[in-house]
Amino acid sequence: MPRPGQRRTYATFATYYGSIDSHFRVPTTGADLEVPDGIAHFLEHKMFAKPEGDVMDQFAALGASTNAYTEYLTTSYLFSTTDRVAECLTILMDLVQRPHFTEENVQKEQGIIEQELRMYLDMPGDRVHSNLMRALYQKHPVRLDIGGSVASIRTITPDVLYRCYETFYHPSNMLLFVVGDLDPQQVIDQIAEAQWDKGLTESQAEIVRYLPDEPDPVAEAWVEQVMPVSLPLVSIGYKDPVSRLEGQDLLTREVVSDVMWGVLLGKASPLWSRLYEEGLINDRFGAHYTAATTYAYSSMGGETPHPERLAEVLAEELARVAITAEDVERQKKSQWGGFATLFNSPGDLAYQYNAWHFRGVDLFQFSDALASVSHKDVEARRDEHLQPVHRAISVIRPESS
Amino acid sequence: MRGLGQDKPNHDPNAFVGATEQGIGVYTHATDRFKTISLHAVWITPLAEDTASVTALVPSLLRRGARRWPDWRSMEMRLEELYGAAFRAAVEKVGDQQLVSCHLEMPDGRFLPGHPDTLAAGIEFLNHVMSEPHLVEGTFPPEAVAQEQETMTRRIQGIINDKAQYATLRLMQVMAEGRPFGLSRYGRVEDVATVTPLAVTERYWEVSRQAPLLFFGVGALDGEALERAVRATWQPRPAGVGMPPMAPVPGLHQRNLVVDEQEVNQGKLNLGYTTGARLPDADYPALMMYAGILGGFSHSKLFVNVREKASLAYYAYARVDGVLGLMHIGAGIEFKDFSEAMRITEQQVADMAAGRITEQEMDFTRRGYVTSLKTTEDSPGSLIGLQMQRLLMGGGLLPADLIPALERVTVEDIRRVAEGVSLDTVYFLTAKGEGHDVRLPVS
Repeated sequence: MPRPGQRRTYATFATYYGSIDSHFRVPTTGADLEVPDGIAHFLEHKMFAKPEGDVMDQFAALGASTNAYTEYLTTSYLFSTTDRVAECLTILMDLVQRPHFTEENVQKEQGIIEQELRMYLDMPGDRVHSNLMRALYQKHPVRLDIGGSVASIRTITPDVLYRCYETFYHPSNMLLFVVGDLDPQQVIDQIAEAQWDKGLTESQAEIVRYLPDEPDPVAEAWVEQVMPVSLPLVSIGYKDPVSRLEGQDLLTREVVSDVMWGVLLGKASPLWSRLYEEGLINDRFGAHYTAATTYAYSSMGGETPHPERLAEVLAEELARVAITAEDVERQKKSQWGGFATLFNSPGDLAYQYNAWHFRGVDLFQFSDALASVSHKDVEARRDEHLQPVHRAISVIRPESS
Repeated sequence: MRGLGQDKPNHDPNAFVGATEQGIGVYTHATDRFKTISLHAVWITPLAEDTASVTALVPSLLRRGARRWPDWRSMEMRLEELYGAAFRAAVEKVGDQQLVSCHLEMPDGRFLPGHPDTLAAGIEFLNHVMSEPHLVEGTFPPEAVAQEQETMTRRIQGIINDKAQYATLRLMQVMAEGRPFGLSRYGRVEDVATVTPLAVTERYWEVSRQAPLLFFGVGALDGEALERAVRATWQPRPAGVGMPPMAPVPGLHQRNLVVDEQEVNQGKLNLGYTTGARLPDADYPALMMYAGILGGFSHSKLFVNVREKASLAYYAYARVDGVLGLMHIGAGIEFKDFSEAMRITEQQVADMAAGRITEQEMDFTRRGYVTSLKTTEDSPGSLIGLQMQRLLMGGGLLPADLIPALERVTVEDIRRVAEGVSLDTVYFLTAKGEGHDVRLPVS
């Protein structure tokens, strides 16, 4: 994506492979495989290791910075630089396309990732979300932590890392996104030539992913955990049962749901003011919708002195408050501004582009999708989505209360 | 004297045009690089125990309503009409100063259907919200004050929820020993409780009429229009009001150890150092190189030795506070690994002091900084932050001058700077029952 005048060039190389892909058929052998939880994230860490050292040093030598992150659906590798873009692209491709896993380097990483997981265990915001996902889903692997557990990562071996790599890191399952002051054709030519040289231009056999059938109802309606926090923390989720949601359908559902939450519970809504004035929420409280092909849900939450009372008021009022046509139009304007602002931040832009791409959506479909949202769509969405049987609540409570 | 055009021409793409007159500064960076227009206004007031809490409540109450948009909801509706403009009123801390800031970021009308003039509407909004708060019988509404007191109390108590942030604040408290920079920007819970509607209203008038006020604008905007609007709204500050001097912070301890216990899964190791160098000082670029090589990047000594070689941590970093001249090292570790992590960390600091620095470490660190300095101009927030810091400190280099200064730094310069780096305090947050055996290694 050309952005004339921008100093930074930012690139992501992402694979459609995340924490939920723990059961699949290996295309090269045709054998089915179940792998330890957290392996996609482990693999992400280990891609930086090469026989000659850490790839980070190659980026550092060019003054570029690099990072990577793993999510439920995807794993992304990135760099950010101000010059020598072509060299950075070569390193990025090499980083992702030349695995080097050994007994020794795998064992070493276990200590580092164990500290990463322990850090998350002390983060109440992370825990309240993790517990919510376990409450919303009975079987779908989105209910498990992206990084796995201290126990599960200890069972990871170089061999199983290679099986995952061979399955999911083929270019036909990946996307390179580059944003900066650049000539797109030049970037495309460079990548095409490099992939040709590496013999990676043939498509591989289709990846078969196995997911358990997820029943519609939630696993548990209310879950709690005690932690050293000052106030209870709550996260309320509505599961949205979906089967093969993608492309235009997914985008429409996402945009309508986001407008719905903006109207019902945005900061300009009467309900938000009421909750704030009753002291049930703080100014960071908000609701949003997440859609993927095999799962979708809404979640909302934050600190509250009274989780029960907050849940009760929300359950009553969300179903009841009026949605007016003016509310919908004002909310659409606000969403417009949010979309325009996205283009200020290369990182946010790349993130959104990738997320939609792997869901069969093109970024620039957004404006039409938003423009077509009607008052009736929003009302219908509420009736369909906000059902008590699909709701789960996760609470973190202070030690003493 | 007019404010505009007084600065000598500066071709640094990070430069702002503007000046401070009679305690009010208006600085603009006009560019069409962004899809947004950012306006940032800030009052500067000394951080002090007796006024910290009442001052911290001011932005919370400005956010609650203005004369034309008297409650939260009408203000939010106005922002949605401005195409989802983001408005933030906040209290911040820079060194020993407390900042009351109002920030508005809105999409540039050029990129919106119908090309509305969002800039004029935005300037009007910000000026109005800051100068004409919603008052009832002369004070902020008592219910709103009570709610914001409650929210502020929870916010202060909630610092404990983020263990890394909590440990950092505790380290600063211990190092400060009562000096203002150790205070939370929100003040203390017991002081929040005693604030009355009259007290916070009086504090608002005091700050808004007397504190130095800085306005910044970034985006496709007309600096003169912003300047006119600001000077028409705000009275000059009283004679003698200027940027407060920021004094260096001397260390009060040597290798002081403080250990806290909580129900946690991971220990937080935090080391606080005094450095003797601050932003405007000639040695500051050398201090940046020092901290960068020690722990600013993933090629740095701490990351390589604590994480990559010893597998003791997921994160390990060193950061400099250029305003106070302090350095902070942080790492998340196993409780039992305290001594080992301390030993490795202090070994890295000792290596820096001995000048055991490779050409590669110098090169990578320089390049890392250069890239990040060049990208300052991609972000309105970074541009404003840098400009404000320079005004507050009365100096400091812009990227165009800082980059060559970093390139000139030698290992010998770093070794000299290292002589001024001294370990003041070690703070360790560990699990219940794990704290009694924690001892510092002998240096």
